[in-house]
Amino acid sequence: MKLLTHNLLTSHVRGVGPRGFPLRLQATEVRINPVEFNPEFVARMIPKVEWAALLEAADTLHLVEVPKGPTEGYERDEQFLRKMHHVLLEVDVLEGTLQCPESGRLFPISRGIPNMLLNDEETET
Amino acid sequence: MREVRARLAATQIEYISGKVFFTTCSDLNTLKKLKSAERLFLLIKKQFPLTVFSASKGKISIISKIDMHSKSAYVEGKIFKELQKLINDDPGSWLNAISLWKSLLELDAKNEKLSQESSPPLKRKVEENEIIVAKKLKTEQMQELQENRECQLEKQTGEETLEQEDFITKREDFQEEEFQNDVEKAIVGHNQKDLTFRVSCRCSGAVGKTFTAQEVGRIIGIALMKQFGWKADLRNPNLEIFIHLNDIYSVVGIPVFRVPLANRAYIQTAGLRSTIAWAMASLAEIQAGALVLDPMCGLGTILLEAAKEWPDVYYVGADVSDSQLLGAHDNLKAAGLKDKIELLKASVIELPLPSESVDIIISDIPFGKKFKLEKDIKSILQEMERVLRVDGAIVLLLSEDHHRCLQDCEESGIPLNSKSSHIDEPGMKKCLNPEGENGISETASSSFQASNQEGLDRTSPFGSLVPVECYKVSLGKTDAFISKYRKSHSSGL
Repeated sequence: MKLLTHNLLTSHVRGVGPRGFPLRLQATEVRINPVEFNPEFVARMIPKVEWAALLEAADTLHLVEVPKGPTEGYERDEQFLRKMHHVLLEVDVLEGTLQCPESGRLFPISRGIPNMLLNDEETET
Repeated sequence: MREVRARLAATQIEYISGKVFFTTCSDLNTLKKLKSAERLFLLIKKQFPLTVFSASKGKISIISKIDMHSKSAYVEGKIFKELQKLINDDPGSWLNAISLWKSLLELDAKNEKLSQESSPPLKRKVEENEIIVAKKLKTEQMQELQENRECQLEKQTGEETLEQEDFITKREDFQEEEFQNDVEKAIVGHNQKDLTFRVSCRCSGAVGKTFTAQEVGRIIGIALMKQFGWKADLRNPNLEIFIHLNDIYSVVGIPVFRVPLANRAYIQTAGLRSTIAWAMASLAEIQAGALVLDPMCGLGTILLEAAKEWPDVYYVGADVSDSQLLGAHDNLKAAGLKDKIELLKASVIELPLPSESVDIIISDIPFGKKFKLEKDIKSILQEMERVLRVDGAIVLLLSEDHHRCLQDCEESGIPLNSKSSHIDEPGMKKCLNPEGENGISETASSSFQASNQEGLDRTSPFGSLVPVECYKVSLGKTDAFISKYRKSHSSGL
């Protein structure tokens, strides 16, 4: 699971609503994959990033050199884009858990795929 | 458009999950030509094959057998758009082509050579390039053909104008190499005198009643042998000729490649037919930097096709089944697309994504008795609608039943006294309630009455989804519909 994905995932436990984001990340196995750098793609992703969530996740993974926010003119700042590229796309959490901040419910990550399925009691509808 | 649809639908039914395909329906020039050819065919009413043959004259343009499952065969919206974009020579070269009778061999050999040459410069991602190249090649071909002396063809072989249009195919690069080798071999085997061939025939309609496929095949085979001195080789011919005769048209074609193009080299285990997957992806207007979700991705076929074609996009696939996800994972790995596509184990009715976060949703709604989706369809659509950004697009593959159901709903459009007022088709909600499988209109309307009286006030799943276009496609044994919707406004769910 990449951090770009983590940046989107929210908990759907009943009653949690918007407080189900961001999910707290705990990783037991992480891998860094080299991914082809595509500056345009990264630049387009930047506006969608929830920075607080990203920084929190990067922190738990002990990542360094994580930009704190978009810089002025980031679209042309290759260094910035490369750092973001690394953080968002090259870090892959293979095993770990995601925790709903409100309900405490744990979602396991296995083989890089987070399991977000809820039991019937937990679902909202 | 309707013509194309009718035509594609018609031919789909006939060229079923074929054996030999060679494509490039992605070549717009070809497509356009095909359309015009189709029109020509329609003019012909055949009683007997012989009459057909002679009456055809210049009318039957033999088109290399289109891979009905080729990618853009289904992409009508796209075709239409691109047709508008294109200002091609067409009518001119088309007419030229029709009016010329070429010797089969020269034509064929040239084609093979040309298609071989065309393989390297292929930039498969860019349609325009392909079109341009196709145009060029066609022009070249046309010119060369014009230079050829006209063949004295017997009446019987009259329409064997294997006037083949140049095809540039959309294939993987390494696939190209493979095919290139094939083509090279074929060419090497090509000698004016030594060509071995085999004729495969399919006849239906009036023609089919008069002659059997074998008879036609034999007639043509013999004619070919007489005319060109080729030898028939049933087992492993250099050249295979496909003939399809029915009441609408007579088509003769030469397959360009031996392996179906629908067999994507990059997909290990295919779920949905890859051409349909690609078609759906094309309809979805995927733009760079978009977030595309397939909430019931299965083996990830749709995402794979999309990612191959539109790489600068972030794809997410979700499925509830471990085995499917594993399969998808393997597919991704095999295709080298692991970086572009993320997988989640999640349920489509409970997507772990914030509202209005996804740009595009493409999905193959599972149909079949084993999927119990009656009441879930509503939840599914609701959830999809929720996560979709305003102005985002949804492209769904629906079974006939689902589609009919939804269409009835759209058409009825009688406002329901619903508490949560929505400008939409409330009728749809009720339609989705009954047995999803048997979404018959009678059932629908009766339950509509019921629900009207019940005064249910839950919002219709189609709250803000506006239908944009819809295409019927053939999946081989069954038919299905590709439907596209756009989210017009915030649903406020």
